Amino acid sequence: MRGVAIVGIGHSRFGRRTDATLGELAFESIREAVQDAGVERKEIESVTLGSAGGWYEESLPAVIVNEYAGLEKVGAMRVEAACASGSAAVRATYLSVASGEAEVALAVGLEKMTEVDTLTSVELMGRAGSYLWEFENFGMTFPAYYALYAVAHMKRFGTTEEDLARVAVKAHHYASMNPLAQFQKEITVEKAMASQVVSWPLKLYDACPITDGSAAVVLASEEAARRLSDTPVWVKGIGVSSDSANLSRRDDYVGLPATVDASRRAHARAGTAPGEMDVATCHDCFTIAEIMAYEDLGFCAKGEGARLLREGETEIGGRIPVNVDGGLKAKGHPVGATGVSMMVEVTKQLRGDAGRRQVPIRRGKGLVHNVGGTGHYCYVTVLSRDP
Amino acid sequence: MDGEPPTLRSRRTLSLRFNLPISRTHAFWDALGEGRFVTSRCRDCGWVGFPPQADCPSCMGGSVEWVALGTDAELITYTQVRVTPTSFVESDPYIVGIGRLERGVKVLAWVEGATLDGLSPGAKVRLEARRDPSGAPYYAFVPVT
Repeated sequence: MRGVAIVGIGHSRFGRRTDATLGELAFESIREAVQDAGVERKEIESVTLGSAGGWYEESLPAVIVNEYAGLEKVGAMRVEAACASGSAAVRATYLSVASGEAEVALAVGLEKMTEVDTLTSVELMGRAGSYLWEFENFGMTFPAYYALYAVAHMKRFGTTEEDLARVAVKAHHYASMNPLAQFQKEITVEKAMASQVVSWPLKLYDACPITDGSAAVVLASEEAARRLSDTPVWVKGIGVSSDSANLSRRDDYVGLPATVDASRRAHARAGTAPGEMDVATCHDCFTIAEIMAYEDLGFCAKGEGARLLREGETEIGGRIPVNVDGGLKAKGHPVGATGVSMMVEVTKQLRGDAGRRQVPIRRGKGLVHNVGGTGHYCYVTVLSRDP
Repeated sequence: MDGEPPTLRSRRTLSLRFNLPISRTHAFWDALGEGRFVTSRCRDCGWVGFPPQADCPSCMGGSVEWVALGTDAELITYTQVRVTPTSFVESDPYIVGIGRLERGVKVLAWVEGATLDGLSPGAKVRLEARRDPSGAPYYAFVPVT
């Protein structure tokens, strides 16, 4: 396997994007990524689209996107790993380049969730488990799945509803500094605590919003990357794991084993350790998910996640800044776009291009943690300035 | 709200209603209809789990027998769903929990006849067979007082 680098990044504005079709929305990030990479479209040998789908009208989104962007006669497919579809698209693209099949290839993450009404979106996400045993009779929702984890984590480790609110406050703070984020306003712990209960104990401000958006990255072989880019960011290791469809088949509800496994595999491939990361994007679809991620990714011991947050260690200037782009919680979570959006953010940080949100880069390494469903899938990717 | 861009509302409606095969796990549904709980046990390796399945995920054996699941359980975790999906929009907020039965097998189900204030992780609950207003069988936990 040869070295592979991210040489181009693009990112649409996230939010309620009823102004744009699926193709138009994808094009916003594809054009930016292609221009940023300085490649000709004819050099792009394959396009892999990460999109969970179901909430928009198209059944074949990959070809819709490629036609709109004038990407002709390319290898094409849509991949699905729920909310980790974006990372799955990046991994498929990475493998194609690393294996020598392609020199330059494109990964796109895309979701349009607002073409159906909100409760239909809630329904489609609630079916993201084991349909007959979780949804048909019991009407599970995405917040409900994570609420089961929140209650168990609070009971075991004393994590509080205020701790969860602090995750949201941090997310909104950084989103207010990110012009592409869905939410642009700061919030307070009091405001988060007073918001509507969605699935007890999780409230509206514990939950990521329903979002439209796209993101894209151009990946290149070592040789092509040297030619195309002065600031390549290398994909050093990708770890993948998964867990049972039925939550009832899990051993406990205080962490996501798929994250632990994927993280271990990613670091083993990259030759890195959690403590060497300068920055991380963690999958904070719900506030409890970010606290569990700190622990499962080895940024702190199990049960210490809320303390790490309270002590400010996951803010800019802390030991491991997490989600300084606003995270899923406040930047928004267009399901299939999220993993690619995370790659864009960590690439920006490692290039030193993150502006007011720039974290100090010491070792030149960053981590992308992207979960699909309720720990059903997990992809962890280590990126580095050094090949 | 100004600034909402114009959209074209499609005239074609897509309604999906699935027919779910249950022929290989009908023993579970038959028993449930009689108010009993059974699940599958692998004849080769003894794996017992829930939901029941016709093939063993532990040893890939294709021969299972049906054994009593038991009904006494400890509530491991739970939530109350307040914002409900479209197809549950008529439902009042409902409590969903995961209970661990005597064999160690866990089941996810509604917790009925309970309030949030009256529950905590570790509470004793019992699995009961129920029928919804249409007569369809389902199951729920109820608190043991």
